[in-house]
Amino acid sequence: MTLESITPEWLHPGLLLILGAWLLPLLKGTVKRAAMIAIPAGAVYLCLQMTTGSFGEISFLGVELEFGRVDKLSLLFSYVFSIMALLGMIYALHVKNDSQHVASLIYAGGALGVTFAGDLLTLYIFWELMAISSALLVWQGRQPGSGKAGFRYLLVHIVGGLILLAGIMIHGADVGSFSFDQMKPFATDAGWGPVLILIAFLLNAAVPPLGAWLPDAYPEASVTGAVFMTAFTTKSAVYVLIRGFAGTELLIWLGAGMAVYGVVYAVLENDARRLLAFHIISQVGYMVCGIGIGTALAINGASSHAFAHILYKALLFMGAGAVLQVTGVRKLNEMGGLYKTMPITLGLYMIGAFAISAVPLFSGFVSKSMVVSAAGAGAEIPRPWIFLTLTLASAGTFLHTGLKLPYYMFFGKDSGLRAKEPPTNMLVAMALAAAACIVIGVFPGLLYKHLPMAAQYVPYTLPHIASSLGMLAFTALGFFFLLRQLDPEPKVSLDTDWLYRRGSAVFVQGCQKPLARLENNFVGKIYEFIMQRIVLGTAGLLRSFDTRVIDYAIHGVGRLTRSISRILKSTVTGNVQHYALIMAVGALLLLALALFVL
Amino acid sequence: MSFLERQLEDPLRLARIKRYFYIGLAVIALFEAVVILAPLFMTADPDAKHAHFWFEQIPAWGSIYGLFSCIVIIVVSKFIGKKWLMRQEDYYDA
Repeated sequence: MTLESITPEWLHPGLLLILGAWLLPLLKGTVKRAAMIAIPAGAVYLCLQMTTGSFGEISFLGVELEFGRVDKLSLLFSYVFSIMALLGMIYALHVKNDSQHVASLIYAGGALGVTFAGDLLTLYIFWELMAISSALLVWQGRQPGSGKAGFRYLLVHIVGGLILLAGIMIHGADVGSFSFDQMKPFATDAGWGPVLILIAFLLNAAVPPLGAWLPDAYPEASVTGAVFMTAFTTKSAVYVLIRGFAGTELLIWLGAGMAVYGVVYAVLENDARRLLAFHIISQVGYMVCGIGIGTALAINGASSHAFAHILYKALLFMGAGAVLQVTGVRKLNEMGGLYKTMPITLGLYMIGAFAISAVPLFSGFVSKSMVVSAAGAGAEIPRPWIFLTLTLASAGTFLHTGLKLPYYMFFGKDSGLRAKEPPTNMLVAMALAAAACIVIGVFPGLLYKHLPMAAQYVPYTLPHIASSLGMLAFTALGFFFLLRQLDPEPKVSLDTDWLYRRGSAVFVQGCQKPLARLENNFVGKIYEFIMQRIVLGTAGLLRSFDTRVIDYAIHGVGRLTRSISRILKSTVTGNVQHYALIMAVGALLLLALALFVL
Repeated sequence: MSFLERQLEDPLRLARIKRYFYIGLAVIALFEAVVILAPLFMTADPDAKHAHFWFEQIPAWGSIYGLFSCIVIIVVSKFIGKKWLMRQEDYYDA
């Protein structure tokens, strides 16, 4: 292992977070809080001053690892990941739980590691680090369901990690290198490697039917941990999909399906943070769709939407988390009327809601529309159905995040909950995220100049503003029109996690009956046959041999001995003359034998 | 009592807000129709026209599709939910 290539000029920002995290348990009070901000701020600084190139190349066991592939794409994601780590730590500043802070920073560091990984093995190392550290965040939720949800989460991601490893090994053996470049999973000469890698990436991007882990686990995480979780796993998957699978046709349809899937489940959802989790899936759908379209504009759209999404989705989770923090209530049907006591939280939440809904002058407007335009009439290949599906999902986004959730959380029927605003540090983090949403929306050029591809896009045109406003306004009309339909119900919705939550039990039960029948009817019969016929039959034979031959022989010997003894007994009289006579007869017989026979 | 509370708790003021909301809807739909229709009559400059699908040329297309989307999403999702997806909260605990 050579270390010369890790130069002092290039320090991995992920390494700073991963190692820096372990300082926190050693520090106390103000120093600790300063470190909680300084460590991610240092990572932001490292990312901002980084120049493109290849860094941190290490030869390990004959394999070349590249820890620092720095180009426009990895830089863009590293900016938002490190900024998010900083915002998340500010939001968590009041939390007195070291293990949660350590896990959060390692998780963010893992995401940065994935972002800069130049080869598949390095990618795999950080991929697994993210899985384990984020599972810790689920457990830190310390709610009744957190333990089991964390195990399910870890289980799914371990399976995903193994699929990734298998794919990397097969791909590496096929092409003779572990370098991480564009792959063609559906080319005729492609082996199983790229397909397995794609499946693992899609699992982390929460693409249905592989995405049920996300709404299952995120609402069980702690208030502050969930904010971290919204940012890194799915968006690092978006990043690696851009790197590996841009232009894969399948992704267009999966992405559009995802965008609608999240919206449908959000209609049915009652848990505030789970509703937002379904909208992560919906929003990541736009990115996956853009990656599938694969044109320069679409890739820029997916990248910029990931950037904007991380900030506004974190803000939304912060808002819902703040309500959970101060009220202890997570279900919409138990909330309502909080606008009176939490106006600042409401205001900041609404900025996030306008951003995700792509209201003009907010960040979603300048990022989401790029993906939709890439499917639009002016695109290289116009795709009217994708265009319509994504636009429909947009209406759904505003319907839930911008109308349903705030209505039932902050307005609606007064639940009698008398909450106060959350701690100042939480409000500060929310205000910073909100500011970012507005700055990106008002000055899109600040984001566009960092986009990876060379493609021009102008978001603020009259037709675009007009149709967006029309769509949003009339979605609101539909909402108030059908308000009673949307009343949250205390229910849970089936998803593919049924397979390992109930399906496994059904599977075991289903196995038990046939197994019992097999046991009774087949194994039992064979057993009976062997025991009764063969074993018992052989035993009978042996027994009769024993009684008839062996016992008979032993009895015969006994009887013979006894009859001989009886005969002998008659000779034993105790009379000396008789003994002498017999001895004399014997002597005479021996003499005769000697004389006449020999 | 905060500003927002005064607006929402008073039925008269709430009715006024509703009226503004409907006026706003009408203005937006009109604005959109004008924006979509105007280039068709006014300009011969091909760059001024954006490429559009035929349905995007319908006056106030965004408004119509927004309302349609909203209703379809609510009705279809609720239908699927009631018929199939929604279960009691303790479904996974049983």
